[in-house]
Amino acid sequence: MAASNNRRTPLERIEYAIIVSTLLLMVVVTVQPLLNLLAVSLSDPAKLPGMSGMEVLPRGLSFDVWALLVNHPNVRAGLLNSILITGLGTLLNIIFTALMAWGLSRPGLPGRRILFLMVLVTIVFDPGIIPDYFVNKRLGLLDSYWSVILFKLVNAWYLIILIRFFEEIPQELLEAAELDGSNPFQTFWYVVLPLAKPALATITLFYIVFHWNEFFRAMIYITDQGKWPLQVVLRQFVIGGDKLAIVGVDAANNYTGASQIDLRALKAGMIILTIVPILLIYPLILKFFTKGTMSGALKG
Amino acid sequence: MSEVRSQQEVASMTAGESENSASLGKHAGGFLAACRQWWPYYLMMAPGIIFFVLFHYLPIWESKIAFEQVRIIPPNIWVGIKHFQVLFASPVFWQVLLNTLIISGMKMLFVFPVPILVALMLNEVRSGSLRKFIQSAVYLPHFLSWVVIAGVFIAALSPSDGVVNDITGFFGAQPKSFMTDNGSIRWVLVFSEMWRSAGWDSLLYLAAIIAIDQALYDAAEMDGANRWQKILYVTIPGIVPTIATLFILNAGMFLSADLNQVINLSNDVVRGQIDIIDTYVYRIGLQTGEYSLATAAGLFKAVLGMLLILLAHMFSKRLTGKGVW
Repeated sequence: MAASNNRRTPLERIEYAIIVSTLLLMVVVTVQPLLNLLAVSLSDPAKLPGMSGMEVLPRGLSFDVWALLVNHPNVRAGLLNSILITGLGTLLNIIFTALMAWGLSRPGLPGRRILFLMVLVTIVFDPGIIPDYFVNKRLGLLDSYWSVILFKLVNAWYLIILIRFFEEIPQELLEAAELDGSNPFQTFWYVVLPLAKPALATITLFYIVFHWNEFFRAMIYITDQGKWPLQVVLRQFVIGGDKLAIVGVDAANNYTGASQIDLRALKAGMIILTIVPILLIYPLILKFFTKGTMSGALKG
Repeated sequence: MSEVRSQQEVASMTAGESENSASLGKHAGGFLAACRQWWPYYLMMAPGIIFFVLFHYLPIWESKIAFEQVRIIPPNIWVGIKHFQVLFASPVFWQVLLNTLIISGMKMLFVFPVPILVALMLNEVRSGSLRKFIQSAVYLPHFLSWVVIAGVFIAALSPSDGVVNDITGFFGAQPKSFMTDNGSIRWVLVFSEMWRSAGWDSLLYLAAIIAIDQALYDAAEMDGANRWQKILYVTIPGIVPTIATLFILNAGMFLSADLNQVINLSNDVVRGQIDIIDTYVYRIGLQTGEYSLATAAGLFKAVLGMLLILLAHMFSKRLTGKGVW
């Protein structure tokens, strides 16, 4: 490829430059707003007025906003609730999705097609939020973590992905295990799961992102503010414009004149804080998702 | 496939253990043998099956409230399609339906083609590390919640210190409050959707491009094709099936203009412009307490949506020989 570089005409070079700069512009449009928020949250509060939305470097350096956020009871509770919901939720998701996929991947299983159809129907038909609300109410899940965790205990799409993956496992391997006296539970644990590691990793990441980003159900089902996940705290503060959610009554009175400045920095810090866990697992996401999608197509 | 077919008569019976006896009844003790063979699998699947029954099929049963008059002291009274008649007579509902169609239409027109263009451009980037860098950056918003994205957009569109107004101000324009402007709020939905999904969605097209047989490009090169001719005559025809499938799939989602997006980017000033079926159901149902009417609206959307998805699936199969699932 590099050798052919020299043979390219000036016109082709210009075309290439336009393509690359368009893509780089897209990178800037994607990343700049996030960098600006980070810069605002790290800036010296005194220097914030007049700081433009274009700037990506902090003016001065101050960790006051981050210290306030990390020590704030509502934010802390939100962070812990989010970690609990995401951790427990993902663990249950992965166990029960894998178990159900394992059963549904066995060709001879009686009722396999009916169960598969039952799953497909749920993808196509969703009666909406009101019946869902009444089911949660009837099951006594309102105002409990379970109303958020149990939803999508098994995601139909991920289930189908796993079924397809399990079906690819060579039948001889499973038969060999059975000949050795392995029962279905052992076969699942010692043969199927280790083989499915890449698929399981991908689906685990999907579930983590799903739980971490979920806010709507928490918003309508959890009235106890102490149980709110971070997304709902963020929403209340940044989008709902509820200053008291973060600043607190006493502090709101003390801020008075400076409150505008601090609010901007606090909101920025709060948004970035909510993204941090996604950024932490982002390298893994890129590795598994991108490779998975690309290598799937490479066979063609 | 053959194993599946041999089980067809089994599958056509009702689900559950009873079918074992039906299919294996010819053999003496077949039912017991089947139970002995398959019970571990049913045990393992049980939590999943119970989940689907409780959280997907019980809500379908609960939808009957759309045909009932809710009473404080049960039972509710069956009133038939009364709530649907109220719904269809309501001008608000028709406005909401219209909003949904307009917003979905705008997204289809302005957001749908962008990832295709991005994929075509990415494919031209020769340096692997440069391409990886671009991809890592533009995929990111796909993994952010709408709460976060709304926060980012509110900040970026702020009239006093948002980046957009800083740029337009540089060219001499007056600062504008995009979030509270009835003329621009739908475009905010379009652009935030683009910001969120354009990068990631390009991955699907890029995968399709990479799957195109390299020999076709070599042959085109022999014929003296330049970059544009190769894109026009090899790449684009190569990804048309992917484009068709995704277009049809999007069409199937036409009535879901994205509740999470709208609910977070909405405010009292612009609500009339972007109130969609889903937000309407949420508002009159969970906020006003008109459960029956809200459920009726939700059911209307669910049934139409289901038909659209099934149609989309059918078209996709006919066009590309490949279903959506």
